[in-house]
Amino acid sequence: MKKNAVSVLFAGIAAASLLAGNLVPVMAEEETTESADPALYDGKEVKVWVADAAVDFTNDEIAKFQEEYPQYAGVTFTVEPVGEGDAATNVITDVESAADVYGFAQDQIARLVSAGALEEVNPDYVDDVTERNDEGSVNAATVGDTLYAYPLTSDNGYFLYYDSSVVTDPSDLDKILSDCESAGKNFYMEINSGWYQTAFFFGTGCDLSYETDTDGNFTSCTTDYASDKGVAALKEIIKLAGSSAFQNGSSANNATDYAAIVDGTWDQDTIKQAFGDNFACAKLPSFTTDDGETYQLSGFSGYKLLGVKPQEDEDKLQICDDLANYLSDEEAQLDRYKTVGWGPSNLNAQQDDDVQDDAALTALKDQMQYDVPLGQYPSEYWDLAKGLGDDVIQGKLTADSSDDDLIAALQTFEDTCKSYASAE
Amino acid sequence: MTGTTKQNSLKKEFAEIGTTFRDGDWKTRISYLILGFGPILRGQFAKGFSLLAGEVLFFVYLFRFGLGYLAKFNTLGTVETQKIHRKTVYGDNSFFILLFGLLTIVIIAAFIFLWRMNVRENRNEEERLKAGKKLPTNKKVLASLLDDNFDKTLLALPCLGIFVFTVLPILFMICVAFTNYDKSHQSPTHLFTWVGLKNFQSLFSFGGAGFGSTFLKVLLWTLVWALFATFLDYFLGLAVAMLINKKGIKFKKLWRTILVMTIAVPQFVSLLYVSKMFANDGLINATLLKWGWIKKAIPFWTNPTLAKITIIVVNIWIGIPYMMLIATGLLMNIPADLYESARIDGANAGQMFRYITLPYMLFVTGPFLLTQYTGNLNNFNVIYLLSGGGPQSLSMAGNAGSTDLLVTWLYKMTVTDTNYKMAAVIGIMVFVVTAVISLVVYNMLPSVKDEEGFQ
Repeated sequence: MKKNAVSVLFAGIAAASLLAGNLVPVMAEEETTESADPALYDGKEVKVWVADAAVDFTNDEIAKFQEEYPQYAGVTFTVEPVGEGDAATNVITDVESAADVYGFAQDQIARLVSAGALEEVNPDYVDDVTERNDEGSVNAATVGDTLYAYPLTSDNGYFLYYDSSVVTDPSDLDKILSDCESAGKNFYMEINSGWYQTAFFFGTGCDLSYETDTDGNFTSCTTDYASDKGVAALKEIIKLAGSSAFQNGSSANNATDYAAIVDGTWDQDTIKQAFGDNFACAKLPSFTTDDGETYQLSGFSGYKLLGVKPQEDEDKLQICDDLANYLSDEEAQLDRYKTVGWGPSNLNAQQDDDVQDDAALTALKDQMQYDVPLGQYPSEYWDLAKGLGDDVIQGKLTADSSDDDLIAALQTFEDTCKSYASAE
Repeated sequence: MTGTTKQNSLKKEFAEIGTTFRDGDWKTRISYLILGFGPILRGQFAKGFSLLAGEVLFFVYLFRFGLGYLAKFNTLGTVETQKIHRKTVYGDNSFFILLFGLLTIVIIAAFIFLWRMNVRENRNEEERLKAGKKLPTNKKVLASLLDDNFDKTLLALPCLGIFVFTVLPILFMICVAFTNYDKSHQSPTHLFTWVGLKNFQSLFSFGGAGFGSTFLKVLLWTLVWALFATFLDYFLGLAVAMLINKKGIKFKKLWRTILVMTIAVPQFVSLLYVSKMFANDGLINATLLKWGWIKKAIPFWTNPTLAKITIIVVNIWIGIPYMMLIATGLLMNIPADLYESARIDGANAGQMFRYITLPYMLFVTGPFLLTQYTGNLNNFNVIYLLSGGGPQSLSMAGNAGSTDLLVTWLYKMTVTDTNYKMAAVIGIMVFVVTAVISLVVYNMLPSVKDEEGFQ
């Protein structure tokens, strides 16, 4: 008498799977027309992801956007807080339920393009976007020869914050360290991050860059870390890590008892509170090797970008394009600077008096002339750089290591970097 | 031996299907095509119609939904995503093809089972009628679902749930290990496909960017960690419990309460806090520096060896209270006359522990120890919240760190690297390791070998 129960069970399975089948998106291939009939857009839903701090600001901007583009009055916009660092991962993990327009850190762009999660910038806007933003940010938004995203900010770089009562000469790394050591204060720099580490390698003139094709695949890698220049940089990192004042880190919120920190504009308020009247910032210091050579620390200058997800509905794509364009234009960038404090990538907005007077942005601007605009890097690079930094911190590479050991480590690094480019 | 019996029973099945068809009447024979036909004509409407409904549902599912996915199952899709003007037209979705293809295969298997039941039902009915017995009424058949067959009614929903939420995902994960599903083959925009054993080869490839040496390192640390985490906690917990139980110790409840406090605070909170406390710029280092006891911060998390030791020590702090509670109860259960006779025979405290307390404890807690060990093999919380698996090194591939367990490595692979194929391979390895250890150790446990040992 088994059959009854089992047939019930089986019918249930079949029903459940039919139900699940309905959840699979139906690929509609309806023809679209070119007209701007408002009814065309009514009832469409557009989801936007921005950093937590910018949610309110974005909601206000969208309200203005709907006033300026009355045909989108019937569109429902939802803004959700997703940090620029996480956005790419979240979008890639589940493209279908991800936001239609999302802000992301520029180092994620290649990953997004190769995963097919980023739509090209609307051809109508390409020239405009290219002209109104600074060159670095436009390069950052370009993969291959294609402009894939709308630059939002040009403030993703790092420089030195210091306590002027402790640090006497912010232009020399060794002096900063000895000042901190004698004051018993900490100096923070995140040397196990591929983002901060390049300050040393690029500073001594090393090169590390990748070429990508239009699909976001890495085709070739140019690097010369395994050289005298690389060794000089690595030695300085080791020297820094050996200081009793050194702490590995770059988040002012988690830092304790510090007199200097290499950090970006996003932590400005926290640091201001910590330093009080002694708050000061400057471009990164320089350092002198044992051979007497002096190098200015370099680094990456990065950008925040706004991207649009590929759409199956051309009308919706139009809404997204218009919105992304609106949210990244001069006025919006200036407003964003005033409400959230993000430094603009728009050339005109950069000339604004308030922006010009901003201490942190000025220090960043000083630093940026030594920086390398952050190009496209495979996500494995960041893991690898963490490995290199951790090897220094955990004492696998020390001041006692011979030049041969250092070269060997850098050779491994270089070879592994190159292996990412050839891998399909 | 089991192979031949299986073969025999399979032969019997086919023989029975054959003879049922040969000896059956026309109703039975038509039932081979139209399920439930025989029972319906014999008045068994309840059974007949549910069989028929099963068949109808099956074919509706198969032709309207399942077959499309199943047809592409061998390639996991061939149609690439295209751009038409600025519009994106998604091609085949390998993810859904794999998922629903699997589902369809399982449903086809279920249908074959249903069909087999249908044959047997026909045979049973015929035999009953030939023997001159009456068939049960429909009412009786339905009522039996709440009576004789109530177990099946109750289990239908849980079984379905387990299938949908556990079995199917596991099958899916196992399949992913044989595909190239990773960040550059991501649904819905890109296709992924079968690659055979390539991922397993790369897991065991040594030298260069191969995963081999990293995998062995992580595996070794996983085993060592589980060993320390389990047995240190066990013996120290036991010791603390015995200490508190000892006559002459005052404020027993106070000591227990203090230890149990660590359980009261959620692990997420306490572990994150401890992680911060031991950091290079954390409370402990800062204080020691201030007092001048050390010149340079102690690298609790950044030195691989020290990080491992710190993790094990912190885990002792978390683990002891649980073990202490369990041991306190069990120790009270050891028959006092055992100790008494031992004392009369002149045994000292050490001997009593060695020959009475320990065997008894190991006997009773053997299975518990085993689950603790396997639990610790997959102890995600402690590792991930304390060290995050770090420190990393150039000498380790795939983003693994010195304190990563297989399971935290798997997590990093899925979440930060979107490397699903290797994560699935690691998942299978975790299963293999856990299963082998569990089975071998389980059969060695005193409580399994000698159930009557302490009666």
